Amino acid sequence: MDEEHRGTWFGFGFCGFGQALGSGLGRQVHSPEPLRTPGGNLDVCRVSASWSYTAFVTRGGRVQLSGAAGGAASGCTDAWASEELLVLLRAGPGAGAELQAWAPSSALRGEPLWSQAVQEAEGGPSCDETQVGPLPLLPCARAYVSPRPPFYRPLAPTLRARRLELGAEHALLLDAAGQVFSWGAGRHGQLGHGTLEAEPEPRLLEALQGLPMAEVAAGGWHSVCLSETGDIYIWGWNESGQLALPTKSLAEDGKTTAGGEASGLDEDGSEGKRVFTGEDGAPAPFIAVQPFPALLDLSPGSEAVKVSCGSRHTAVLTRTGELYTWGWGKYGQLGHEDTATLDRPCRVEYFVDKQLQVRTVSCGPWNTYVYAVEKEKS
Amino acid sequence: MAGPSALWEALQALLPHTKEELKLELGEKVEGSVVMLLQEAAELFHGGQRRECLQTCEVLLDYSWEKLNTGPWQHVDKDWRRVYAFGCLLKAVCLCEPPGDAASVAAALKACDMGLLMGAAILGDILLKVAAVLQKHLLSGKRPAPSPSQELPSIKKARDDHVPIPDVTTERTVPRLHCPSLQYFKKHFLVPGRPVILEGVANHWPCMKKWSLEYIQEVAGCRTVPVEVGSRYTDEEWSQTLMTVSEFINKYVRNEPKDVGYLAQHQLFDQIPELKQDISIPDYCCLGDGEEEEITINAWFGPQGTVSPLHQDPQQNFLVQVMGRKYIRLYSPQKSEALYPHDTHLLHNTSQVDVENPDLEKFPRFAEAPFQSCVLSPGEVLFIPVKHWHYVRALDLSFSVSFWWS
Repeated sequence: MDEEHRGTWFGFGFCGFGQALGSGLGRQVHSPEPLRTPGGNLDVCRVSASWSYTAFVTRGGRVQLSGAAGGAASGCTDAWASEELLVLLRAGPGAGAELQAWAPSSALRGEPLWSQAVQEAEGGPSCDETQVGPLPLLPCARAYVSPRPPFYRPLAPTLRARRLELGAEHALLLDAAGQVFSWGAGRHGQLGHGTLEAEPEPRLLEALQGLPMAEVAAGGWHSVCLSETGDIYIWGWNESGQLALPTKSLAEDGKTTAGGEASGLDEDGSEGKRVFTGEDGAPAPFIAVQPFPALLDLSPGSEAVKVSCGSRHTAVLTRTGELYTWGWGKYGQLGHEDTATLDRPCRVEYFVDKQLQVRTVSCGPWNTYVYAVEKEKS
Repeated sequence: MAGPSALWEALQALLPHTKEELKLELGEKVEGSVVMLLQEAAELFHGGQRRECLQTCEVLLDYSWEKLNTGPWQHVDKDWRRVYAFGCLLKAVCLCEPPGDAASVAAALKACDMGLLMGAAILGDILLKVAAVLQKHLLSGKRPAPSPSQELPSIKKARDDHVPIPDVTTERTVPRLHCPSLQYFKKHFLVPGRPVILEGVANHWPCMKKWSLEYIQEVAGCRTVPVEVGSRYTDEEWSQTLMTVSEFINKYVRNEPKDVGYLAQHQLFDQIPELKQDISIPDYCCLGDGEEEEITINAWFGPQGTVSPLHQDPQQNFLVQVMGRKYIRLYSPQKSEALYPHDTHLLHNTSQVDVENPDLEKFPRFAEAPFQSCVLSPGEVLFIPVKHWHYVRALDLSFSVSFWWS
């Protein structure tokens, strides 16, 4: 997205391998800090964070690694970092683009593990997320990259993929019509079809039919999508409150949000607001697994426009530039100046205090990167 | 309690002396970044930097925990479980650095137990040895166990309640044999797959005389174990959680518990070798193809009323009853259709029918399915043939030991 005012990237959470995250001092950063990327003042347009290192891509096409993996390369339009593989999309010689998979330890020297030519998307390479979303979805939208073999995975041509996200053991796909598909393991309810069964092939989320989605994100074992009207739907594992539903582990520490309210979509797609109550009318106990999408209210009137998930935490941006985070917080990845795990959405006050509007959020497994601009003075 | 430094010395004696020996042989699955952290943890430990070592251990534990929860448990690479165990080991020992208090030692024992429950054996089963030392240290400070005269009235009361004890005389009973020969058992029961109760086989095992609520609390009270909460594992409200054996007894056995809790299907005897001394392996297991080390021994310990819904297991089973009585029903695998197994992969070995309260409108054929039943009492051994459907309800506070063999 273009910004008239060039903003700043911030980071918070786990940086135990020295990956750039604000000051990078110590192993964890609990409150947002401006990024000091190696190599000085870079014009970062995309951040892809794995557990032990982060890849920064600049508008000039340079990719810079920070953390357990180092190195840099030029001529890159996109990067996707995982522990097993670093995947780069490079403007190839001539007209085509090239997909390259590197061992993170290679420091981008020598040869990639493998590479192949890929079909360009129309419109040419750019850093903007215009038509087809970033890696691991390939620009042609006919295939995606996986960190485990087979690395190159074709998608059925009928799926007009717009965005694809990978969790620890599942995949989410958003198509051109705003439909969501999921496949992979389902034991934590992360597929959203109402069961714990696995799905070998992309399966349409019937519960969301009729509600066009604008964004999807996959965490380790949970899934989130945003409707075009700014509503949040969330499902999967809630062991750390990453679904913003009451979780037992926090209750045992006396820290849960009692009085959990959530709306669920009934099987026929109709929305019913279900307040979970126990037999005595008190707020019901805990949700460990939510196998159907549940509607989540951030705050009255707010519209969610962007979402990103870490292993066990969730981050959502509103249209007005506020950032909300919840879920596992042990390494400061929620940005609330502490290490508390939360099972309800909380606004990251840092940006409000500094009069910054958040425009992008990108979560690594245990940390969070945010791009924010100064509030326009009206 | 013996001094914290005595404990520290006892633990140091168990660990490898050099930091080079404090390492794991790991395959490719474990990424270089994790190997780096393992080395760092060992160095910090040997450098006496306890706080930093604990921090690194937390990272190792959190990361390997995520791996342990990715994919089915059977497919989790053993190396990740070793990494997890390693993190638990260093965490446990660091927590015991003098001056340690009882709470730290209890936390250290819990870390060991997590490593034993979810990790894999490392450094010559070191976690077992460390756990034994920690347990001994914790117990030496405890008050002596209450004398039998203080036996809690709530248990007695439960026995006198109107427990629905099925009238097995009207049902077909499982046959009983006293010490059959190996050949007789094989010919008439193992090969044709017929259940039988064996008497005189286990009744002299030390557990039959030794085990009581007090004894179990004494030997295992401070150890962390998995507990199932909820009436049946097929219920929506069913869940699994971890707690010490003492906590389990206080919450789910004594004091008129609100919910049903069951210490079920847990390899307690691997975790607490001292208890393994009180049991044996039934001789008849030698009739199988497998090795003795491959026999899975599970503990089943819970209050009156625990229920295992009708299900089948993929191995032969000797169910040894030690404390209390269990009502058991058995259905032949040839009649599986009349038992309406769930069609999900997760529960395909479990029937949808509630055996003692069947919904015959929904499951009409169940009414005609023939079965055998019995009340299994202390000292008796029930042979459940492979894939034979069985339903179990505890009529009293109960402790059973099952042997799965092939």
